[in-house]
Amino acid sequence: MTRPTNRRPRLSRVGRIAATTAGLALAGQGLTACGSDTVSGAGDRVEGGTITYAHVQEPPCIFGGWIQQAYISRQVLDGLVTQDEDGSVKPWLATEWTVSEDGLTYTFTLKDGVEFTDGTPLDAAAVAYNFEQFEKTDLNGTAKVSIDPYYKKARAIDATHVEIALNKPYPQFLTLITQGYFGIQSPTALKTRTKEENCEQPIGSGAFTVEEWKKGEEVVFKKNPDYTSWPSTAKHEGPAYVDELRWKFVADGVSRYASLTTGQTDVIYEVPTVNWKDAEQKFDNTIRYITPGKPVSFYVNTKQGIFTDKLVRQAFAYGADRKGAVETGFHGVIPYEGNPSVSQSTPDYDSEAADAYAFDQDKANELLDDAGWSEKNADGVRTKGGRTLTAKLVYGAGFIFTTEGATVLQALQEQWKEVGFDVKLIPATMAELWGGKYSDPSTYDATPSYWTSPSPAILWIVWRPSTEALPNYNNRSFYDNEELSRTIQAANSELDPAKATELYQKAQQIIQDDAAGIGLYTQNTTMAVANNLKDVWVEKSQGEPIFSDAYFVE
Amino acid sequence: MKIATVRVLVRLLSVVAVLVAAASVTFFAQLLVPGDRATTILNLQNGREQEWTAAELAPVNQRFGFDDPLLLQYLHYVGGLLKGDLGTSYTQYQSVTSVIGAQIGPSLALTAAALVVAWGLAVGVTLLTVKRGRFVTGLGSGWETFAASLPTYWVGVVLLVLLAVKIPVFPVIGGSGVWGTVLPVLTLAIPLAGFLGQVTRDEFDKVLDQPFVTTARTRGMGDTAVRLRHGLRHAVLPGITLSGWALGALVSGAVIAENIYGRPGIGQVLVTAVNTRDVPTVSGIVLVVAGVYVVANLLVDLAYAAVDPRLRSHARVATA
Repeated sequence: MTRPTNRRPRLSRVGRIAATTAGLALAGQGLTACGSDTVSGAGDRVEGGTITYAHVQEPPCIFGGWIQQAYISRQVLDGLVTQDEDGSVKPWLATEWTVSEDGLTYTFTLKDGVEFTDGTPLDAAAVAYNFEQFEKTDLNGTAKVSIDPYYKKARAIDATHVEIALNKPYPQFLTLITQGYFGIQSPTALKTRTKEENCEQPIGSGAFTVEEWKKGEEVVFKKNPDYTSWPSTAKHEGPAYVDELRWKFVADGVSRYASLTTGQTDVIYEVPTVNWKDAEQKFDNTIRYITPGKPVSFYVNTKQGIFTDKLVRQAFAYGADRKGAVETGFHGVIPYEGNPSVSQSTPDYDSEAADAYAFDQDKANELLDDAGWSEKNADGVRTKGGRTLTAKLVYGAGFIFTTEGATVLQALQEQWKEVGFDVKLIPATMAELWGGKYSDPSTYDATPSYWTSPSPAILWIVWRPSTEALPNYNNRSFYDNEELSRTIQAANSELDPAKATELYQKAQQIIQDDAAGIGLYTQNTTMAVANNLKDVWVEKSQGEPIFSDAYFVE
Repeated sequence: MKIATVRVLVRLLSVVAVLVAAASVTFFAQLLVPGDRATTILNLQNGREQEWTAAELAPVNQRFGFDDPLLLQYLHYVGGLLKGDLGTSYTQYQSVTSVIGAQIGPSLALTAAALVVAWGLAVGVTLLTVKRGRFVTGLGSGWETFAASLPTYWVGVVLLVLLAVKIPVFPVIGGSGVWGTVLPVLTLAIPLAGFLGQVTRDEFDKVLDQPFVTTARTRGMGDTAVRLRHGLRHAVLPGITLSGWALGALVSGAVIAENIYGRPGIGQVLVTAVNTRDVPTVSGIVLVVAGVYVVANLLVDLAYAAVDPRLRSHARVATA
């Protein structure tokens, strides 16, 4: 049990939220993930040992704004707060916090005596420095975009109190900073070391330190024996049980799963869906966690091309059995998600919006006829005024979409053809997609993508209209809707949670009614754990694997 | 003596010219790819595809000198090359020399071993099956056709399932250890052995019909000795020529074996670098691969001389 030092804040502030005690913090533990069972007790605990973990993608740096980096940086960096199973925000480096009545000022009380692994103090000045860097430098672009434009500034009041001021009320702020992107690093290390050193061996206060990064092979983590700053959601107090964590990169699914079944690894990430049933039978702890945020859904180009017409977008949504294709393509392991803007595990998810546009080709045909696409050419493709109903569907092959995901798209392509769409599937390499080849409205009609986030404020990040003063390049549907913008902004700054929920759900309805996006499937963290390793768990905010509580049994 | 020195110098200079040319072509080819390098770098750091404002791109452009005229960027790059500086990786913040240095060892070990094993398999099968009766010969040539047509990925997965999972002799994720290198080596060697075997067999078959072979036999030489001393020398020549190409192809094709067996190596680095438009890293690796080709061709020349006595009088000139 963790009992955060419950200090009274020195500044008397009203509107105290969430000064959590230990009992609450640990209540309702146990993963909500399907089939996961972290109940210990089978066999005696062995001290020490090495966990060998097989991951998929190797990031360019140990920390950064890519989810792959959040996973790995979580092992070495601690955050200010963390998210519990029920979605509530719980203490971590901050033992408690207050929010001013106007919702503009957050005052965090820090755990006393925490040190970075370079021996420097993790104090209020260090936290304030990190937040200033998030906002003002390229330290972490996803941290920045999560708090833009609400964040104003951070300052240390004294050694253990840090104040973060906002421009506008933003109750989702706390939930958003539970993401791994907000890991606190040693300011001394950031200031005095080279970019390369910080990239390869970031200095935090976490349960592990980076010992060595063998590029192309593995990152070796050593236990931090002086660890004092475990989150209140941890399953035990104290440093990690194991001495070492070997984080291997095994891109190939066949060998990743084989490495677990032959006992060469103890935990694997992204269990191939074909092996999922087998894994559930073989291993006591299999974790499937639907990560919150924007699911894998299609952005549809509302600015240029055939999808500028709402009826055509809706016909596209009705025209193919997305649910069936997802279930077949992923062997029933990955759930379908009909809501294009927010995934089912996200707070304030609107399940009603998710039910819209169930497979109905008659309806699709009707809508297309209404929209004037009533003629068909020799290939069965609908035409209007000499133009064909062609959609360029660009997808990130091999990094956003796996081979299985591509199979789903091919199945959908066939069905869209039945109602007269000529869908051209265009696989894009990382170099093309991330290099900006497909960023102009003229280059695509639809493109699927996801963005994990623990908060419905993801709606703001993705869907707010792009303005000259504040361009939004994440709105890949180029969807500009003033009512939507107002609704999301009202939701973001609404202090009454019930009213906020209502507004966030209204925003989801607007997007769905206008078919500004089209749902497809949820983004998941799947893992399988060897039977002699206990208490491996996945944190709630982004599905990051946690190894600091894990131990081997006889 | 002086002429020989000049020849060596000319040869060395031409090697340098080849390498610089390879790096230059790669450098420009990458700049022709649509898209913006600074955008790619920011997208990679943040794990998403989006545009960035000029203000956000400016520091990246400045750090890597993307704002400079292309010619200046190129001259800067080549100037560095001549001083042995391959530049700095856009994504890993470290020098390309150290990126490659950390990965080249396992790659060279893998490719060299694969080439040796492929030769062993090809020569062995040739010696044992050419002109050994219809059935055995058919078995040999059938194996070669089969092996040559196998996709590397398929070989890798089948070997993995057979020899690391069903009969767990070798590790699944071998790293760069010796035992872990066996299956990756076989993955690359088996298809290559098929190719080498096909050309070797063809030649071997012809040689065994030559008059000098009949002469050797009438002198009372045994079949094995004839095959080893007279047949093989002739038969391996086309294979040796092919090896120069194969070694280079193995270096760049190793990525498949590296991926399956979670093995470090230059192949994986190259794929990632191409994907992230890491121009200096891609150019650096191409430079290394070009270097391997140059060395391989030199070795092929030497091997020719060693195998074919007719070339020996010219050998010194050829390698000087």
